[in-house]
Amino acid sequence: MLTLFYLFAAISVLSALVVVAARSPVNSVIALIVCFLSIAGHYILLNAQFLAVVHIIVYTGAIMVLFLFVIMLLNLNKATEPQKSLATRVAAVVTGGLVLLTLLAAVRHGISVEPANGFDIGTGLVRSVGRSLFNEFLLPFEVSSVLFLSAMVGAVMLGRREKNPQAA
Amino acid sequence: MSALILTSVLGVLLLYLGVFGNKRLLAPVAVLGLLGAIALMASGWYMDVPFFADMVRFDGTAAAFNMGLTGLTILLFLFGVDYYARMERDVAEHYALMVFSLVGAYLLTSYTNLLVLFLGIEVLSIPLYILAGGKKTSYRSGEASFKYFLLGSFATALFLMGIALVYGVSASFDLGRVQEVAEAQGSAPSPLFLLGLFFIAIGLSFKVAAVPFHFWSPDVYEGAPTLVTAFMATVVKMAAFAGFFRLVHLTGLPPALANTLLAMTVLTLFVGNIVALRQTNFKRLMAYSSVAHTGFLLLVVLGNSASGISTLFYYTLTYGLATVGLFVVMVLVKRAANGSEEVRSFRGLYQAKPWLAITALLLLLSLAGIPLTAGFVAKYQVFLLALQAGFLKTTVFAVAMALVGIYYYFVVVREAFTADEQPLDVQVTPLNGLVVLLCGIAVVALGVWPVVLP
Repeated sequence: MLTLFYLFAAISVLSALVVVAARSPVNSVIALIVCFLSIAGHYILLNAQFLAVVHIIVYTGAIMVLFLFVIMLLNLNKATEPQKSLATRVAAVVTGGLVLLTLLAAVRHGISVEPANGFDIGTGLVRSVGRSLFNEFLLPFEVSSVLFLSAMVGAVMLGRREKNPQAA
Repeated sequence: MSALILTSVLGVLLLYLGVFGNKRLLAPVAVLGLLGAIALMASGWYMDVPFFADMVRFDGTAAAFNMGLTGLTILLFLFGVDYYARMERDVAEHYALMVFSLVGAYLLTSYTNLLVLFLGIEVLSIPLYILAGGKKTSYRSGEASFKYFLLGSFATALFLMGIALVYGVSASFDLGRVQEVAEAQGSAPSPLFLLGLFFIAIGLSFKVAAVPFHFWSPDVYEGAPTLVTAFMATVVKMAAFAGFFRLVHLTGLPPALANTLLAMTVLTLFVGNIVALRQTNFKRLMAYSSVAHTGFLLLVVLGNSASGISTLFYYTLTYGLATVGLFVVMVLVKRAANGSEEVRSFRGLYQAKPWLAITALLLLLSLAGIPLTAGFVAKYQVFLLALQAGFLKTTVFAVAMALVGIYYYFVVVREAFTADEQPLDVQVTPLNGLVVLLCGIAVVALGVWPVVLP
């Protein structure tokens, strides 16, 4: 089990690095799919079936395929990353380094958090996720429908072709 | 709770009205629906019970904030009748998205669970990202929408990370439980907890445009359609601060976080007021003025006393009323000045419409914090609160910055009261006039009889 964990962890970290480092957007997206799949592997190791399946269907399936489509339709296949100016690069490195420093300083004494509840093998099953979604977390579940509705309205509104662009 | 449901349904209803193409019905239905929501809130005042497994709690302060938010939205919708009169398509969508955004605002004022706080922020923001790009043919509007969306998403990611860290320490999203954990840890909180709170504070600071998370605000304020800008400056700010205060008040503000917030407050006061001095575009001026007001409001959050929420409500309400009125005046002037948004285009306003110029003067005086207006009483309460909390130096600095602020508001006043060779042809519909006058009267009346929440 532990070997599997390390295997998945190594794959996720390496593929995430490839996502950032790859020159061509298509390679980047494929590496991201690999990364998501390995994270789904982590979920299965924790017996979180629902999360693993949803992760594969939504992220790897829907979102990443959409990503690939967009990249291919726009023909971004070539490595067309513009060169950033030196000032931008220095600023980015300094900012990122500062965040890293803050995080390191925060955890320099090490963190030990006692788990509040022991590991429950049934937490990630579809049945228990559904139970808590429709009992305890009913309000967030329902409210997110407002969120999705407004996102849909926005997609239709912004994506619709203007009849007469000169008029507006 | 019933107001929340009514408002969500109202948004869907407005979308249906849009399908049937009846544009004239939209604003009356929206205003009537929101008035109904206010009535429901008023009847549920002090119905202080938790809903849905302690996810939200509409206590007295939440009800007051919700009524204030709804009132401001009604004023904006009344203005919308004229504003959207020339727009042919997507009008129903604009109203509906603003109503949906209001639903998020209700959640922010009443949450008792970190998950609801997150959803509230998202429901508040996602419609705004879309609305900012409402003028589809305008390049600046598209830029505003895209910029707001990208930066907002980054802030949300950090915010969510913070919630995850806090959950990791407290094993619960419930604010009551988080408060217990914070109290148990005392003055030496665990680094994870502190980091989590810090990230959550970053997410909220982005929403209220506190320095250094304010860079989006001038561009977005300038690019977005003016009605949406007014919505962002008033409703969003009020809701985000209500949410911010609730969080800080319950978790007790650990010293490390308090110091960071103090530094941010000083920076916000400084940058907001000083950069505003150099603005010539009215919308950008209002954006920096909004950043400056964020600084004063952060002082209240820092003070973290029980009476702070009352001051926060009063301040955001008076600021909102003055801002709504000024944006209406600005749109009227902009139409008369061939679409120019410069402060200079206010020139000759007094010549053309004396009553409009005098009302605008009252609103500007209130923003600047001149006595006899609500803005003065609000600022006075903030300074008093900060002094009681022991921030002597910061308060002195804030007073100095408030004095600097008077200058840039008076630049607008000077332009409005300077005569121009060409008279400004300002057309005021009765409804627009009513909105401006209501804001002006409210600002004076609230200055004489300040609101104190029980």
